[in-house]
Amino acid sequence: MVQEEDLELYRSQLLDSMSERPVHSVRGLSDPIQVYVNERRVGELKGAETEGTLHVHGVDHIETVQLRTEDGQLLGGVVAPESGFRANRVRLSADTVELCVQNTLQGGSLSAVFIPAPSFWRRTWNSLADVADRWTVRRSESTMAYGFRTVAFTQAILAIAVVGLVADRVMIWIAPEHIVAPTVQAEALRTASIGEIEQLAKQLRELRLMQTKVGEALQSQEKGMTLLHQTMARLSSTQESVASSVVMVKEEMEKRQEGPEREADRPAQLPPGKGSVDQEQFELAIHGLASDNERLSKQIAGLEEHNRMLTAKLQTAIAHVAKAAEQGPERVVAREADVARKHQLLPVVDSRQSAQAQPFLFWVTFSEGTTQESIDQWVNGMKGHKGVQNEGWQEVQILPPPVPPDLFLEQIRGEKIIKEARLNH
Amino acid sequence: MQNTLRKSHIIADPTVSVSRLEEVVATSEEFDQVVAQALPILLDRAAGYTKRFLRETGQWNDDIEHEKFALRWGSEYLERFLVCGRSEVPCRPLFLFDSLVAKQHSKPEPFCYHPDLLKPLGRFLDGLVARAVVSRDALIALYHHSYGWGAGDVIAVTGLNGLESQRIYKNFRRWRESGWQRTMDEMGLTKPELAELENQRQRHRQRFNGEAERLIRVAQGHYRKSEPDHYPCLSRSQWGEMFTQGYGCDYRIWHLALCLDCMQTAWGLGSCGSSAEKPRLELQVRP
Repeated sequence: MVQEEDLELYRSQLLDSMSERPVHSVRGLSDPIQVYVNERRVGELKGAETEGTLHVHGVDHIETVQLRTEDGQLLGGVVAPESGFRANRVRLSADTVELCVQNTLQGGSLSAVFIPAPSFWRRTWNSLADVADRWTVRRSESTMAYGFRTVAFTQAILAIAVVGLVADRVMIWIAPEHIVAPTVQAEALRTASIGEIEQLAKQLRELRLMQTKVGEALQSQEKGMTLLHQTMARLSSTQESVASSVVMVKEEMEKRQEGPEREADRPAQLPPGKGSVDQEQFELAIHGLASDNERLSKQIAGLEEHNRMLTAKLQTAIAHVAKAAEQGPERVVAREADVARKHQLLPVVDSRQSAQAQPFLFWVTFSEGTTQESIDQWVNGMKGHKGVQNEGWQEVQILPPPVPPDLFLEQIRGEKIIKEARLNH
Repeated sequence: MQNTLRKSHIIADPTVSVSRLEEVVATSEEFDQVVAQALPILLDRAAGYTKRFLRETGQWNDDIEHEKFALRWGSEYLERFLVCGRSEVPCRPLFLFDSLVAKQHSKPEPFCYHPDLLKPLGRFLDGLVARAVVSRDALIALYHHSYGWGAGDVIAVTGLNGLESQRIYKNFRRWRESGWQRTMDEMGLTKPELAELENQRQRHRQRFNGEAERLIRVAQGHYRKSEPDHYPCLSRSQWGEMFTQGYGCDYRIWHLALCLDCMQTAWGLGSCGSSAEKPRLELQVRP
């Protein structure tokens, strides 16, 4: 009887906990979101106030994707289709996580993007951008809207900054007694706890990171503008040449219409006029370009297919290596010898061996203030050597790592001196 | 949905709910509404399937421990269904739920079953380790429950850097505030059972820890499979390389919490130094 009551109590408790489960989880602002694929943790989305992304590719098919908080609460998820693509948006309070999962014959892939709720400043910013956009669209040509929009943005930012500075000054003049003396600040610094100092240091680091990101964004925007200008210049020159060709053709046609008699006086086998020759040449060039384009498309498709096959082979090889590592070196050697005897070395094994023989190349950028000496030390520690440098990226060659490339890059990124790491430049 | 869900299991009409569950629901909101009215039915259904699975695999016994085990896994499946089922609309919820449970039961070793893990100590350990797989808070707390360490010790042993250290303190705080209690509730551990465990720990320390070590190895062996494939046990030199080069934070945190042997192997590689005695299991009941 007591046991039955105990069981009923447990059942009610479970039902209550499920009933009280909030749909939109209460999650700390800076807490990462744990991502699980097929109930295995594959990574986390570091989304605080900025967008965070996570990409997962695997040989295995994806069945389920789950998002959980650090305390284990299930926030949302998606059941992947047997084959094909499915997307789902998971709302977490005001934030959103977009999940895109795809299963193919080669395996499954997941893309998770954390989109934070727009802050007050961002909303204001967007509103200003919209206003500026509408204004520029109404008043100028569509090709120049981008430039005007940038100018409008800059003006708006400057106006906000000036207003902010003036307000700050006014506040200081109004309430001078609130200004903390430097000695008091120093005292406060001395009495502050290590936790607070660490927190401040963390905030400073984040600020520096944000500044760097803003700088990078501005640079890329500048580059984009330059490219846009170049493209526009090319476009206008092309337009001019096309217009002149059209004028020439028109003139030629008019000439032909005006003087048929004069033309009739001429011998019948006269060579064709300059306009018609140009037109024919244009047509020939267009045909040539079209056929070239078609051939290139076919080549690209072929290369993509080849690339897919290579990726599949690589994944299989990685899976073999992982299994072999689990089973111990002796068993691996024995098994490989056995397999080689039986099958005269399968292509998968060949590809793995050739992959191991080739050096592993990747690109890194280093944190600010990293000395050349520490970079050299790091490269030596990796038992590798440096390759070329390009736009701040350093190529590094090492022996193939024992872990998959994605995990290896993840590990590299965790190191102090490394700012970013990727496979291709 | 929260308001709709609350206490709805008390007033739900089983006949109406089941027939409604068999009909097609077209939107996520409709799915939430229909499922919220049928939570008790779905829980009993999932528990029934789990019971049947245990019977068919020769693991069932007619006692309260097994009943609780079936209920616990039933609620686990139901939780996943509530969240993932929303993305499957339009669907017939009952059939979708049945297929989800069937899919779970068609996997090899769908849950960690051992007769000794159904007793209070086993349930406690099973609950801790199972939770550690889905909750980072529980994972970090596992260091405390296994070895009695605080946040500082965990940071030193696993050789973490500044940013990661802050997270460890947060994990400990959340676990103390709510995580531990929630896990105990989910495992159906009552206050008298927890008090008895604490009593045993104080009175028969050696025997208690010996038994706990035997059982935690069973649980860790099962749940460690939930780690990514590339997280195998490593040799001391491999651990050493990872610690000195400063990579693989996740690897260290995950694997060392879930593997007593690797903790022995990697002992002393962090900033705690190798001079201290190798850690032995000192089970802590309270957070």
